[in-house]
Amino acid sequence: MDLDDDDSFFTRNVLGGNPAPRQPAAPAAQRRASPDPFQSGPDFDVWTANRDSEDTQGETPLQQLIRHWMNERHAPDILPVQQTLLSGLLDHIRRQSDTVQILRSDPSSSEEDHFRIMLVQTEIERVKFIVRSYVRTRLFKIEKYARYITTNADVQSRMSATEQQHATRHATLTDEHFFQSVLRSLPAPQRGLDEAPAFVPSIVTLPDKTRAVFVHARVDCPPVRLPDGTTLEMEKGHISLTPYAVVEQLVARGEVELV
Amino acid sequence: MSDTRQFGDLAIQLVTESRRSTLTDTLLKYNDNLVRQIIREQRDLEKLMQTLIDTDAVSPSLLIYQTAIVRNKRCLLAYHMHRMDRLRDMYWACGCALPHILSNAPLRSKLSPHEVDYLRQYNASTMAFRASFSSNNDDLVWVKKDCGTIHTELGAIDFKKGQRFMVRRADIEHLIVQGYLEEV
Repeated sequence: MDLDDDDSFFTRNVLGGNPAPRQPAAPAAQRRASPDPFQSGPDFDVWTANRDSEDTQGETPLQQLIRHWMNERHAPDILPVQQTLLSGLLDHIRRQSDTVQILRSDPSSSEEDHFRIMLVQTEIERVKFIVRSYVRTRLFKIEKYARYITTNADVQSRMSATEQQHATRHATLTDEHFFQSVLRSLPAPQRGLDEAPAFVPSIVTLPDKTRAVFVHARVDCPPVRLPDGTTLEMEKGHISLTPYAVVEQLVARGEVELV
Repeated sequence: MSDTRQFGDLAIQLVTESRRSTLTDTLLKYNDNLVRQIIREQRDLEKLMQTLIDTDAVSPSLLIYQTAIVRNKRCLLAYHMHRMDRLRDMYWACGCALPHILSNAPLRSKLSPHEVDYLRQYNASTMAFRASFSSNNDDLVWVKKDCGTIHTELGAIDFKKGQRFMVRRADIEHLIVQGYLEEV
C-alpha cells in the first residue's frame, strides 16, 4: 500500500482503496444479520446508502460517525447503535496502523515519508478519539438509564449485544450496592426497590425527552407538531430549538441532525 | 434540640452533604454514622407503625410515619447513588486505573467497604465491555519503572526496569496509564 492511499483514506470512501461497486439494496434482515466486523466493502456501502436518506452518499464513514456522535451527545435518549459503521472504521484504523508500522520499519523510506507517516498517525488518533467518545457517550447513558433499559425492549433493540449485557450487569451491580449499603439493614417491609409511592417521582431514571435541543435540517423536512398544537416545517439548512420529543422521528430518519 | 427534632431531619443532612459534594466538586467521607442513625430511625418508625396497626385504630399518624419512611429511604438511596456516580466519574478520570484509586490512602479512607467492592465489580464490568472492542490482545511493553510482581492471566510476572514483555493488554493497561510500562 503506498502512502498517498493512506493520506486520503478518511476523506474518501470506505474500506480499502478501491471504490466499492454499488449494489441494489439488500433485504433488511440480511443486513441486520451481519455483525461480522470484517465484512466486505460493497455490503457496507449498501447498508449506509439504504439506512439514511439518499444524501448520505456524499458523506465518508467518518463524517457519518461524527454526525451520529453529535446526535448521541445531544440527544437525551439512547439512539440506535451504528454497529456496522463503527466496526468498519475500527477495522480500517487497525489496518492503517498495521501499514504505518510496516512503513516505519522500512529503512528505505525518506525523511519526507516519515513526515507523512506522522500525519497519518495524527489522523488515526483523531478518528480514534471520535470513536472512543461515541462509545463512551453511549456507555454513560446506558449506565444512567440501566434500570429503565432492562425493562424496556424498545431501547434494547437500539443497543448492541455488548451494550445490553453491560446495562444488565450495571443494573444488578447498582441494586447489589443499594442492598449491601442500605436495604439490608432496613426492616423487612422496607427492603423493596420496586415500590412506587404516591406523589413521589419514580425511582427509575428515565430519559427526559422534553429537553431542548438544537436541530439542523439536513433536507427539507415534513412538518412536525409542536406541543402548543402548531406545526413547524423546516427547510434544508434551517436551525431551531425544540424539545427533543418533537424532532425524535426526524432524528431517527436522519433528516435532521442535532447541533 | 432533641425536642424540636422531627422525622426526616437526619435525611436532610445526608442530602445536604451530597449537595455540598457536588458544589465543591469533592468526594466527602462516607458518613457511616449518619447513615446508621437514619436506619435506626427507620426501624423506630416501622415499630411505631406496627403498634398503630396492631391497635386497629385508624389514625392519621400512620400517614405521617409512612411518608417519613418513604422519604428517608429515598434520601438514603439518593445519597448512595450520588456517591456511586462520583466514584464512576473518578474512575474514568484517572483512565480506568483501579489500583491507582485504591492505593491512594486519603481517598480510600473516604470510601465505605461496600464502595470498594462496588468499584472492583464496576471495573470488572467495564473491562468485559472493553474486551469486546480490542481483538489484538497482546502487546509488547517496555518497563520504565520497577513495579514488582504482577499477576496476569499467564502467571505472575516480575516487571524490572528495562525488560520487555509480551503481555495481554487487559492485564497491564493500568500500569501503562500509571506510567510504569510503555508500549513498544
